[in-house]
Amino acid sequence: MDLFAQLFVNGLINGSHYALLGVGFGLIFATTRIVHFAYGPIFTAAAYAAWFAANVLGLPIPVAMVFAAAVAAVLGVITYQYLYLPFERGQSSSHVTLIASLGLFIVLENLIAIIFGTGGRVIDGYQYGIFLVGPIYFSSVQLGQVIAMVVLTALLGVYLARTRHGKAILATTDNPEMARIIGIDTVKVSRLVFAIGSALSAIPATLILLKDGATPSMGFFAVFIAFVAVIVGGVGSLRGAVAGGLALGMVESLGLWKIPTEWQSSIAFIVLFLVVLLRPQGLFGRTVS
Amino acid sequence: MEYILHILVMVCIYGILAVSFNLLIGFAGLFAMAQAAFYAFGAYATAILTLKLGLPFPVDLLLGVLITAFIGALVAIPAIRISGTYLVVVTLALQVIVIAIATNWKDLTGGTDGLRGIPSLNIFGYALDNPGRFLPAAIVALGICFWVAWRLANSPFGRALRAMRENESAAEAVGKNLLYMKVAVFAFSAGLAAVAGSLFARYLNYVGAESFGIDETIYMLAMVILGGTGNLWGSLVGAAVLVILPELLKFVTLPTEIADKSHLIIYGLLLIVILRLRPEGLLAERSTMRHLPHVDDTNRHGAEMTAPLPKDEVTLSGNDLHKRFGGIVAVAGFNIVLKSGSITGLIGPNGAGKTTAFNLLTGFLSLDSGTITFRGRNITGLKPHNIVRAGVARSFQDLRLFTKMTALENVMVALPNQAGDRVFDVFFRPMKIHREEQDNLVRARAVLDFVGLTHKAYETAENLSYAEEKLLVVGRLLATGAEVFLFDEPLSGLDRTTLAEIFPIVRKLADSGKTICIIEHNLDVIKELCDVVYFLDEGHAMAIGTPDQLMNDPALATRYFK
Repeated sequence: MDLFAQLFVNGLINGSHYALLGVGFGLIFATTRIVHFAYGPIFTAAAYAAWFAANVLGLPIPVAMVFAAAVAAVLGVITYQYLYLPFERGQSSSHVTLIASLGLFIVLENLIAIIFGTGGRVIDGYQYGIFLVGPIYFSSVQLGQVIAMVVLTALLGVYLARTRHGKAILATTDNPEMARIIGIDTVKVSRLVFAIGSALSAIPATLILLKDGATPSMGFFAVFIAFVAVIVGGVGSLRGAVAGGLALGMVESLGLWKIPTEWQSSIAFIVLFLVVLLRPQGLFGRTVS
Repeated sequence: MEYILHILVMVCIYGILAVSFNLLIGFAGLFAMAQAAFYAFGAYATAILTLKLGLPFPVDLLLGVLITAFIGALVAIPAIRISGTYLVVVTLALQVIVIAIATNWKDLTGGTDGLRGIPSLNIFGYALDNPGRFLPAAIVALGICFWVAWRLANSPFGRALRAMRENESAAEAVGKNLLYMKVAVFAFSAGLAAVAGSLFARYLNYVGAESFGIDETIYMLAMVILGGTGNLWGSLVGAAVLVILPELLKFVTLPTEIADKSHLIIYGLLLIVILRLRPEGLLAERSTMRHLPHVDDTNRHGAEMTAPLPKDEVTLSGNDLHKRFGGIVAVAGFNIVLKSGSITGLIGPNGAGKTTAFNLLTGFLSLDSGTITFRGRNITGLKPHNIVRAGVARSFQDLRLFTKMTALENVMVALPNQAGDRVFDVFFRPMKIHREEQDNLVRARAVLDFVGLTHKAYETAENLSYAEEKLLVVGRLLATGAEVFLFDEPLSGLDRTTLAEIFPIVRKLADSGKTICIIEHNLDVIKELCDVVYFLDEGHAMAIGTPDQLMNDPALATRYFK
């Protein structure tokens, strides 16, 4: 029973991490329909930015996190403006954009590896707190992952529902053509979602830096799990991405009960297979005819 | 020297991979990002079969190809239901799982250590254990693989693949079985990649999971894109450039670690630059030019096409058709009876269910209830391609031409009963296919003559004028050889002169005994063309009669023009 409780909590923690990644990626994907693979290396870049701010500049960690978010947002907007937008204007098919995105993915990932080296980076002297609640163990960073997911998703939800810009984003997600007709500048909206989505990824990136350290290849799993969370949960809804991320985390963690550790990372992909085959609109998505 | 020979061997291996990948991406338009996984299956099959079971060449190769082709065919099954982005994610996931298996199933794959000591190829006691000796074998393998891919790509099956790539529903609407095509092309692509994998294992005498990661798939993708999607020669060029280019960069002295990374950066940048500046790649796709036969040969077929059928017989009928989308009732209790030799019009306000009715009649949507019969045969629930083959074909309001294919190809792909659509026949009955293609050309010519597009035969559909596109839609529909034609707004957006060109074509078809049903908004057109008109609203026929009867009905007038 203790083991189950611990696995459940681990699932919740990892699930929150996946969910937040999914929220950032899903916002971009649902609004622009761009499969933004470069979300992965931008996530990595954010982790290194946080490392740079904390370790080299000696800034406190919350400030480093904000710095990382700013770096990610700028990279995201640049990517949209100079990579995706020209393709969009040239009426390229979505496959072309996707391949270009994969191209950027390898460029950025390897650039980061050349600049920072392939070894992991950690913030020197950083120690996270450890909590024991009954038989259950978790760290302050893990607590941070859950809190970050809850707070940021809630804030994003309010922003989308209440503000003018948020509503413009929702309208564009719903029907880009109609949004244009009623006078929404969809290019501006796209830039905005790239900024927000990328900035959001910087928070889980910094937390992973604190937890495990940063490596140049950490982005692949991040973008992949984000994508999987969005598809499992259902494209186009915040709740879907959160539910998808949490579901993945839970299945992965509880799966450990019976499945050897080295297969853990494959579980998510098997869930993806099943969902895509059996319920392509996602667990929580609406049926689109 | 040894070094150059080694590079050439690698060019051969990647040449096979790029060609196999191009079949999927370039011809079939299936963006499945798991090619390195198929490559891995081939390599591990050879490694495991030779090391653990001691099987000799070519048993390991053949088994590896068969197993991988089978796995490829399995991957095609999700590709039926999902497309585009989803296919990319699912296949990426497959790629990741395969690598996880290769890394973790230590007993079978040697885990991270890989499998060593795979015996070199041995031909008549002559061991191919260095690059110079291996190269001829690699070239032969490349030659065979290229031939297989080329044969497939340039067959009627390849033409159908390209049609599917351009528009899946339109390919179905001309009678192509998408399931069969996807399974077949996946099996071939995977099988060919397995040949490359087997070569790799035999050449390096070692197989390890790190050689088959996602980077490899992207590397192959870069080759295909650089060379040109839909051009197999291009894939060879792409493979050669991307294998040789990084080798040249080795002369720039960099620490090895940075050198490897910078190669990957170059691939990435190259991908982006190519896509920006020359998305068709170095060698663009070319249509297989075939020469149209002379007019005299076509008269027979032209006559055949309009050979009179008995008139006034019931052909297609739909009885009490129902369809709901969630809470919205699209079609409710719709009845329709179409007769040979007559032109039936479907009119009604937007959202009345006209196009939905067509979709139901042709199997593109499944019925909630009701039955559809064609010449007394129940065709309810048949797949679209089987309904076309049975004799009921439809066009689409938004045309859905195969835009990157020529007018001639658009027509040829639609011709019925092509043996060349079956891969077995492509490889084992070449003469039959050859004869059939000659015959198909004659028929296609007759169709193009009939719709007046012969002079545009070699023009790609995207270069046609709007009126010509509409004519080609009619031609493609005719080519299916169906008896019943359902036209979804074939005349909308055309000026009077063009209308005057199309009217006689449609009339002629009806006079020859074909059954025609047209969705149309222009009442002048309806008046001039139709024998019977159905007025649809709220999902069923509100009134049926001659054009005059309906237009003089004041109740309908207020409904339609409200």
